[in-house]
Amino acid sequence: MPASAKSQAQTAAAIAAPTRSKLSLKGSSKVVAEFFEYSINSILFQRGIYPPEDFQVVKKYGLNMLVTVDEEVKAYIRRIMSQLNKWITGGKISKLVVAVVSLDTGDVAERWQFDIEVFSKGVMTRKATLVADKENTVPASGVQIKEKSVDEVQSEIQAIIRQITASVTFLPVLEGRHTFNVLVYADGDAQVPAEWIDSDPKEVRDAEQVKLRSFSTNSHKVDTMVAYRLGNAE
Amino acid sequence: MSFSTPVKSRPSIASCSPSRMSYQQPRLDSSPLTPRQYSQLTSSFMSSRRRSPSGAQAKSCIHRQASSPLKLDSYPLEGELTGTGPVSSTPKRPAKKQLYRSSVQGDRFIPSRSSTSTAMSKLESESKISPVSSDSSASSVSNASSYQPNTVALAYQSSVAEACGLALNTRILAFKPEAPQSSKPIDLRSQYNRPLKPAVNAQLRRRLPTSAERILDAPGIRDDYYLNLLDWSCNNQVAIGLDRDLYVWNAETGTVSSLLQTRPNTYIAGIKWSGDGAYVAVGLSDGDVQIWDAEEGEKVRSMTGHAARVGVMSWDRHILSSGCRDGSIWNHDVRVAEHKVSEFVNHQAEVCGLQWRSDGNQLASGGNDNLVNIWDARSSTPKFTKSNHKAAVKALAWCPWQLNLLATGGGTYDKHIHFWNGTTGARLNSIDTGSQVTSLQWSTTYKEIVSSHGYPDNNLAIWSYPTLVKNGEIQGHDTRVLSSALSPDGSTLATVASDENLKFWKVFEQLGKKVSSAVGGTLGSGKDIAKVMMIR
Repeated sequence: MPASAKSQAQTAAAIAAPTRSKLSLKGSSKVVAEFFEYSINSILFQRGIYPPEDFQVVKKYGLNMLVTVDEEVKAYIRRIMSQLNKWITGGKISKLVVAVVSLDTGDVAERWQFDIEVFSKGVMTRKATLVADKENTVPASGVQIKEKSVDEVQSEIQAIIRQITASVTFLPVLEGRHTFNVLVYADGDAQVPAEWIDSDPKEVRDAEQVKLRSFSTNSHKVDTMVAYRLGNAE
Repeated sequence: MSFSTPVKSRPSIASCSPSRMSYQQPRLDSSPLTPRQYSQLTSSFMSSRRRSPSGAQAKSCIHRQASSPLKLDSYPLEGELTGTGPVSSTPKRPAKKQLYRSSVQGDRFIPSRSSTSTAMSKLESESKISPVSSDSSASSVSNASSYQPNTVALAYQSSVAEACGLALNTRILAFKPEAPQSSKPIDLRSQYNRPLKPAVNAQLRRRLPTSAERILDAPGIRDDYYLNLLDWSCNNQVAIGLDRDLYVWNAETGTVSSLLQTRPNTYIAGIKWSGDGAYVAVGLSDGDVQIWDAEEGEKVRSMTGHAARVGVMSWDRHILSSGCRDGSIWNHDVRVAEHKVSEFVNHQAEVCGLQWRSDGNQLASGGNDNLVNIWDARSSTPKFTKSNHKAAVKALAWCPWQLNLLATGGGTYDKHIHFWNGTTGARLNSIDTGSQVTSLQWSTTYKEIVSSHGYPDNNLAIWSYPTLVKNGEIQGHDTRVLSSALSPDGSTLATVASDENLKFWKVFEQLGKKVSSAVGGTLGSGKDIAKVMMIR
């Protein structure tokens, strides 16, 4: 009887844990998607893809975020985000890339890359077992995930946004008119709507790369990186 | 020993060389040695180098530095002779070995290759029976590729992808629709330098009075936009028309005197001090234009002829221009009996704004027909006619520091201040003030212009020019401000409103410099000006 009770408790825990993780995964996906939306807007503003008067200040992450008010651009980003939301929730994409492309030459001038790492369920269950009989197992290093509060996540995101804002200080001035492309690195089995087509990675030639900060939630980790072409080194 | 050596013949060259290396070089160049000699030499060099750590050699080295050149010369040669036999072969062997070893190393410069290509080598062994050893991966790749190009290419791809940390089963997808294009090219450089909002330095920020310096009653003032009932002379006297009466308030002494009272059924419509401040021109509702001597308190002359009320006048030395309700502008020469010298006719409705430029070359006029005319003094047709205002134009002001700059303000339905270039007729700038503009006064102290307003704000606004930034506002009157006048020292603005108050504001007070108050202060210069004009 005690054995069965224990197994029952275990199964109960096993049921409870995934539902909880699923919930947090969903919430985390929302955080990640929202972060992408604001990041894209920040990049568009900071890099002068659209005129500054097209942007409006919005309070977010404890910062003044600039969000486009241009209807066309808004609709365009909305279309991207609706699909991204599905993919992130499904854990189907590993990278998001915002490529700044010259309108005149078609060259990629800048490439903002966001690496998305989804903490697998394996980690979660391993953590569960760790808790269950931690006296018997050697604690594996690095798998211990601390539960993060919303504030912590927000302050991490804030740091990235600040870095994106500050990046104009080292990024070369974009000569001429530029537009942007959004790429994703999707899993092979991801459902792809017709709007999304296979593409080359749009790497920057002779790129200099700067890694920005990263943030993580309980189920996602997002690394940020910007690659840009170095000006003529004298 | 040294005698037997064949190379001893040139000691001088050897003597001057500090090291053996350089000692050998000139020797080779200068003397034609036999091949044997050469090999001997080289070997001697090598051997001696090899031996140098040995005690004897080191000692000889030290000795050589101290001894004569002749002796010096012999030492290396001695080394050569002794070292010839065994030395010639020994240094070569390790070199060869090294060469061999290095070539072997070059073959396997990727240490992880064998581990990454295990799948590939498996493939290869399945497809073909060959005695190729799996550890020499380079050959296996070349062999395999010749037989199974597709699978191997795939395998190669997988190994490369793996090496680069990429997963093969991912796809790179791009959002196909093009991003909307920006409406205009953006140069970030200009943006970086642009503050988000115009910064106002605390030290430079204008401090404006919130309360009036002085308030006088103006009972019975006619609440009529088209009249000009207030003027401030260069002698620091304020003239105000209160219905039938004209009062002069002396700003220095604070005394008030009644200068004149018009006939019954008439009222004062316009007041203007002459340039020297000695005379005041008064326009009446019946069309009479009178000139009064302020000091004597008597009428100098009356210039009749206008068919309707004269609401506005402007002096240019001895010429007095008067704007009439019928739209005509007459120019009177006050010195001659036949005073009307010319007529400017273009306005279709009452002229309510009139001002000569300070040099007397141009006259600006504004009317109830919403037009602004800029006249050349020598021509009776307007130089420019501007129809930008959508309401009557009463407020006119020529800029004191930029001769050809004219500011004009429109009425209730217009609410705009336009700035014009009087030479080209171009509109330079505009301000939407949000309410009826009743008067405009340029500052002589700051690069600013003050506007007085009627409905709905009834305020005074101070604008900097040419930035057009509103520097401040004064909510001074309860009802609309009818007229304004600037003190001769440029510091104080007098405003009269339909609330029957005449208020004085220190709007352009100079900072850091204590200017004696214009209201109750002394002015000096204007007082000493003699009556230079001859008025008949």
